Amino acid sequence: MPSLKTTITGIGLQNPLMLASGILDENGYTMKNILECGAAAVVTKSIGREERTGYRPPIVAEVPDGLLNAVGLSNPGIDNFGNEVGIALQAGKPVIGSIFGGTADDFLYVGKKMEEYGANALELNLSCPHVLGVGSEVGSDPELVEEIIGELKNKIEIPVWAKLSPNVTNILEIANAASKADAFVVINTVRGMAIDIYARRPVLSNAYGGLSGRAIKNVGIRYVYQLYKETGKPIIGVGGIEAYEDAIEYLMAGASALEIGTGVYSKGKGIFSEINSGISSFMESEGIASIKELVGAAVQ
Amino acid sequence: MIHSVIERVDRETPTTVTILFPWEKEVRPGQFIMVWIPGVGEIPISLSFTGHTKGITVKSYGPTSTAITKLRAGEKIFFRGPYGNTFRKHDGKALIVGGGSGMAGLLPLITPESHGLVSARTKAELLFADRFSPEKLTTVTDDGSSGIKGFAVEGLKSMDLGEFSMMYVCGPELMLKSVLDYISGDGIDADFSLERHMKCGIGVCDSCSIDGLQLCTQGPVFTKSALLNSREFGRERLSVSGLRVKL
Repeated sequence: MPSLKTTITGIGLQNPLMLASGILDENGYTMKNILECGAAAVVTKSIGREERTGYRPPIVAEVPDGLLNAVGLSNPGIDNFGNEVGIALQAGKPVIGSIFGGTADDFLYVGKKMEEYGANALELNLSCPHVLGVGSEVGSDPELVEEIIGELKNKIEIPVWAKLSPNVTNILEIANAASKADAFVVINTVRGMAIDIYARRPVLSNAYGGLSGRAIKNVGIRYVYQLYKETGKPIIGVGGIEAYEDAIEYLMAGASALEIGTGVYSKGKGIFSEINSGISSFMESEGIASIKELVGAAVQ
Repeated sequence: MIHSVIERVDRETPTTVTILFPWEKEVRPGQFIMVWIPGVGEIPISLSFTGHTKGITVKSYGPTSTAITKLRAGEKIFFRGPYGNTFRKHDGKALIVGGGSGMAGLLPLITPESHGLVSARTKAELLFADRFSPEKLTTVTDDGSSGIKGFAVEGLKSMDLGEFSMMYVCGPELMLKSVLDYISGDGIDADFSLERHMKCGIGVCDSCSIDGLQLCTQGPVFTKSALLNSREFGRERLSVSGLRVKL
């Protein structure tokens, strides 16, 4: 039997599949349930310094091959999130704290708390594309990205993952600014929008949203490949993984671990065990013994 | 979004209306749709009519539900769905227990043989009580203006539940919890249709979750045995921001 085990920034994973940030990861019991359904780790909803209610619904629109969302970074504030991390950790698997902020100070405050709560790593939401002053405003400012990551790496023990946005002209510029991060998470949602032609209005209350799901898989593959090749940094691949073939493709493009978000909506919570079993059969039939052999296998 | 043109609007109580519209879709009792009022908001509403003509029965509460109650025949209604699961079928004698606008989602289950317990704040707000034969109906009001004075569980205490083998219950969560606690040691089985704050309706946002399960995709109907083991039911929920709060 091939082994599905993998390691990312020193964190051992039973298999390469983690729950992506923003899907079913606000309530500790839900995260625990997802871990019990076969995910190797969960990434929490992005948490900031203050409580935010986010946008009013509609916050999501079902579109062909994916979802559009503009949730607006609703979160209870980091001071109120410890209980949820604690509940999720009861599953005995890694919990990654996703955090956002407008300044290095915000990121440090939230990151410190996440570390205290027992998170195994931080994922920096540098790329949430829909809130003014945070999100891509931060992620498209190389100097600020460098300052944030520098500050966290100096003062935080747990690994720091930088989640990068595809909504930039040159992703390498931001990757270079984030070079002190322990890993890159690639990609966040792609900017998008949907209009209801009978209502003659944008569907999302925020009008603009982020596109996820199969529709963006080949965007993700391209950036994972490029960043693996150009930076050699450990990469977590995310974007449109719904079948084992997608997972293998991301691994071969250079990802050492993967995240699934929209796939949980389209395929249900069984997606983690289904894809793991597909990866295992593929490895067996192709004579591959470990995930490591697949990582970057297609990169030339 | 799906859209339809409203055929008729019926006033049910001073604060509640039923909106009827054609929609060629098979829908099961207990399921809900996300109704969108462009420029105002989007909320989940269970279907009170599940035949060829579909219907929702809506109580004016927040901005979106109030806007829905102001829709008129001939206007468009925008929605998506249907979402959620359905009630279990039961061949024995069943009791239908609805609190406030919770009766809306139970309406498709009512037959001429059905027994009902309908509760509301006051007599004028008793919803769909007229759908039961008078001898098979118990009413309960907070102010005592009709039937038994008190909450729904007081009505149950006045009845001999031994003749029923199943209950279908919908209403505010604390009412559901009091009903569950009352029948927890009894042989009677029950399906509870829950209402919680919901944003996406499709199992992604985690707002409506209870014990790791999503009301929108794995509910809104939960069995008595599932809720008896629940850590969050009737105790805690997440607010619109995701803050854990007591019910």
